[in-house]
Amino acid sequence: MNGWAGTILKVDLTSGRIWRETLPAEILHAYLGGRGLGVRLMRGFHSLDPFAPEIPLIFAAGPLCGTSAPTSARLAVVSRSPLTGTICDCPVGGRFAWSMKSAGVDALFIIGASSRPVVLRVAGDSAELVPADTLWGKTIPETFDSLADAGSVAAIGPAGENGVLFASIMMDGGDGGGRGGLGAVMGYKRLKAVVVNGARTVPIADHERLENACQDVMRLFRASPVIFGELGIAEYGTPALVDLIRQRRMVPTENFRRTYFAGSCNYSGPAIRREYQPQRDGCYGCPIQCLKRTPLGEQLPEYDAISHFGALNAISDLSSIVRATTICNELGLDAISAGATLSAWGEGRGRFLTADELPGLLADIGYRRGDGELLSLGSRRVAEQLGTPGLSMSVKSLELPAYDPRGAYGMALAYCTSNRGGCHLRAYPLSHEILRKPVATDRFSFSGKARIIKIAEDSNAAVDSLMACTFAFLGATLEEYAEILSAVTGMEYSPQTLRETGERIYLTERFYNCDNGFTVADDHLPERFYSEPGSSGDGIEVPAIDRARFDEELQKYYRIRGLTSEGTFPYPGFLGRQP
Amino acid sequence: MMDQISKYTNKLVADHSALRDRIAFAAQDDTLLTTGEPERARLAGDVLGRLDALALVAARPALPFAEFLVRRISSGESCIIPRDTETRTFLHDIPFLRRSDYEAGGPELLARLLGNRKGVIVEGVGIVAVGAVTVEQAYINYSSVFHAAFVKYLQDLLADGFLIPGEPAAFDDFRNGWLRPLTADGLVFRTGPLVEPAAILSEVATVGRYTVERGLVDSFFGNISCRSDDTIYISQTAASLDELDGCIDPVPFAPTSTTGITASSELAAHRRIYETGDARVILHGHPKFSVVMSMQCDREECGITDCWRDCPYVRYLGGTPVVAGEIGAGGLAKRVPPVIGESGRALVYGHGVFTTGRRDFAEAFRAMVEVENWCRNEYFRRLAERTKRQAPPA
Ligand SMILES: [Zn+2]
Repeated sequence: MNGWAGTILKVDLTSGRIWRETLPAEILHAYLGGRGLGVRLMRGFHSLDPFAPEIPLIFAAGPLCGTSAPTSARLAVVSRSPLTGTICDCPVGGRFAWSMKSAGVDALFIIGASSRPVVLRVAGDSAELVPADTLWGKTIPETFDSLADAGSVAAIGPAGENGVLFASIMMDGGDGGGRGGLGAVMGYKRLKAVVVNGARTVPIADHERLENACQDVMRLFRASPVIFGELGIAEYGTPALVDLIRQRRMVPTENFRRTYFAGSCNYSGPAIRREYQPQRDGCYGCPIQCLKRTPLGEQLPEYDAISHFGALNAISDLSSIVRATTICNELGLDAISAGATLSAWGEGRGRFLTADELPGLLADIGYRRGDGELLSLGSRRVAEQLGTPGLSMSVKSLELPAYDPRGAYGMALAYCTSNRGGCHLRAYPLSHEILRKPVATDRFSFSGKARIIKIAEDSNAAVDSLMACTFAFLGATLEEYAEILSAVTGMEYSPQTLRETGERIYLTERFYNCDNGFTVADDHLPERFYSEPGSSGDGIEVPAIDRARFDEELQKYYRIRGLTSEGTFPYPGFLGRQP
Repeated sequence: MMDQISKYTNKLVADHSALRDRIAFAAQDDTLLTTGEPERARLAGDVLGRLDALALVAARPALPFAEFLVRRISSGESCIIPRDTETRTFLHDIPFLRRSDYEAGGPELLARLLGNRKGVIVEGVGIVAVGAVTVEQAYINYSSVFHAAFVKYLQDLLADGFLIPGEPAAFDDFRNGWLRPLTADGLVFRTGPLVEPAAILSEVATVGRYTVERGLVDSFFGNISCRSDDTIYISQTAASLDELDGCIDPVPFAPTSTTGITASSELAAHRRIYETGDARVILHGHPKFSVVMSMQCDREECGITDCWRDCPYVRYLGGTPVVAGEIGAGGLAKRVPPVIGESGRALVYGHGVFTTGRRDFAEAFRAMVEVENWCRNEYFRRLAERTKRQAPPA
């Protein structure tokens, strides 16, 4: 088999059994890998409680991982989210995916729960569970350091061990790992870390064809102002967006009470550059290298983290924000949910945090002590316990990222139709509503957005299953990646077949959610966005979202998806008809 | 969406790329709608209904070049491979369907092709192009295929002459009917140097419109800027030159803000031209004869194959320097600034023209007209020479 390893490594932490199985070729072709494969493998497990021992925790790479395909050294961690109750996949970068593929497996499928802390070590064809009592309680950098000799590491920090509902899983050399609290799922299994290493290479069907297609992609990257432009993310990282989103007056500020934060100029891309002289870093082999580190190796925050510890909490002090991000990376916290939970709490008690309070409170969350005990549950549960449920700025309990939906209506819809809750990456409407790619759409209009969002969700589900990076598609398109996939696997794929695959993956996720009781009632924004306007100014009017128009577009979306007006499936046998 | 469709129908007519009574659009959100010439509208609907895309245009081009390209190609081929940079970068190759294949495969086959590519040439129908996200995108893709076919056909004529009956007559119609004299006469430009932001924004938008109205460039491709003391005002990426109101980014020379992340992909080239010379304004577009002529290289026994990217030489066309270089961060930002200073004009291999004005847009606009007119005349001169050597096709 070309591209895929064709093998999955299964681990039962309860019994300690570890074994390899062959992955059926038709499953790989139909779900590609990464998110798609993980979602398919969740079938039958999708209604388990996220903290039930039997729930699988899946690490799945894509067929392009291990090849020269740009931005493809990523993987998806898939399970059911304890924060949202939805199916959840987290695309993450770093070296881990590459190393896992080198060990000859497309995916790890981990069930059960160990009675004591363990590390799963995979070295080539062998794999073992190693007691890790001494690692339990260690921060993520400490864990990486002590395991680095054995290979690439995916680990949880204290937050995951302690069951923080938005705990993340971090990969060494990678981006801040993931939303939805899958770190807590790993913690419940008492799996501190996975270390992988191997020496296998990925067989490629047609090297010359791959080389040509990669060149096409690189040419498009170079033609893209957002990717390789002098103000783009290769230069400044995602904080390149800070100035732009402020200028568009859609910066979530003070728990989304306002949409403009003058203080954001303190932590803009150029401000970070002045302050830290950042160096480029990023996923293994990625030409873009959008992560930035200080010369001492400290990872600098990405856009959403910086904006949520900044504007959302009315904090403009850059060093405090960087420190907050570092704590999240050390303890294994999703910075977006952390920032948004703190801001909801701040608004609820009538006072936002000061910059000085931020680091200590984040540590309290990670260790679930003091106020951190409550805050570790995420904004929805916090706001409910405060008696002000409307203050949780989340969809399906997943805290919204740093783009105010009143400033982009496709984004508003996409937050609600995302299968893992309020996330901008599933349909990435930022691309056309703000960044003008492939063409600009009117951000203050719902016209056409239902279908645009549907198409983008399908495309991105395919992208997340190839495990290429969302940012790559600000330059390249599925045309070039279909060509790459065909060259690697020796099977013919087209953009249209990839979108169809993406649709299958998307609908499978939706079906799981519906099976677990999600309906139209969950596809809604917090009330605030329908009733309070944003911060107009500079000739930009930011009204509240017209609820009737939103509902109309949501219903169009359901019709395009073939769903009922309740957002559910008109027939029960959907899964049975899928490969 | 109907307003969008009528807007882009009018654009196709105004830029002389499609025949008014042979244009049809289809668009869909939760329902499918079609409009325009009935036969093509039916086809547009049949195809779009099979695709996951928002809009589709099917129209007969105002020139038969795409059709001629198909008929000139040997029977085994299924796509044309243009050599201009824009098409190489964004469209790769352009598939076509011969009449017999289309009659056999119908909308099903056409949908399959459009599932892979942004536009397809269909013999007897014209150009069919799809917009995944907007009606505008379908128009842009149509326009790209039209541009690519135009350039490729003119290149092929220089290489191989007329090959099939009807070509010389059609070409005469093109030359004497479709082509309009290119001139800056009658246009009003603000006298520079421009310093007020409001004046700059309005002049950039006005001049952008001029370039399209005068047929110098296609609406969607190209960029334009004007500098003040500390800021470059530049058209945004994916902006139409004739609709720049609200689509101009102020980018400070000092690295103080990244709001210009949405600026044209050629921002780096513009910046370097300003930094290394005395230009106040820059105009960049893809006038068709300039693109064609930039690829006519007389160098013999040259080992370079990817000339558009790798050619290190500076050639001259009518006094205008020609350099190679990819779009964006790829290369033209390095190669254009050193050669544009003296004459205020430069050609980029297989891509287009940059011109500058030391004071205002009058100079830059006239320079671009002159470059394109020179290339136009030179093209016809060379073609006459080429066709003199050949007997007309029967
Ligand atoms: Zn250009």
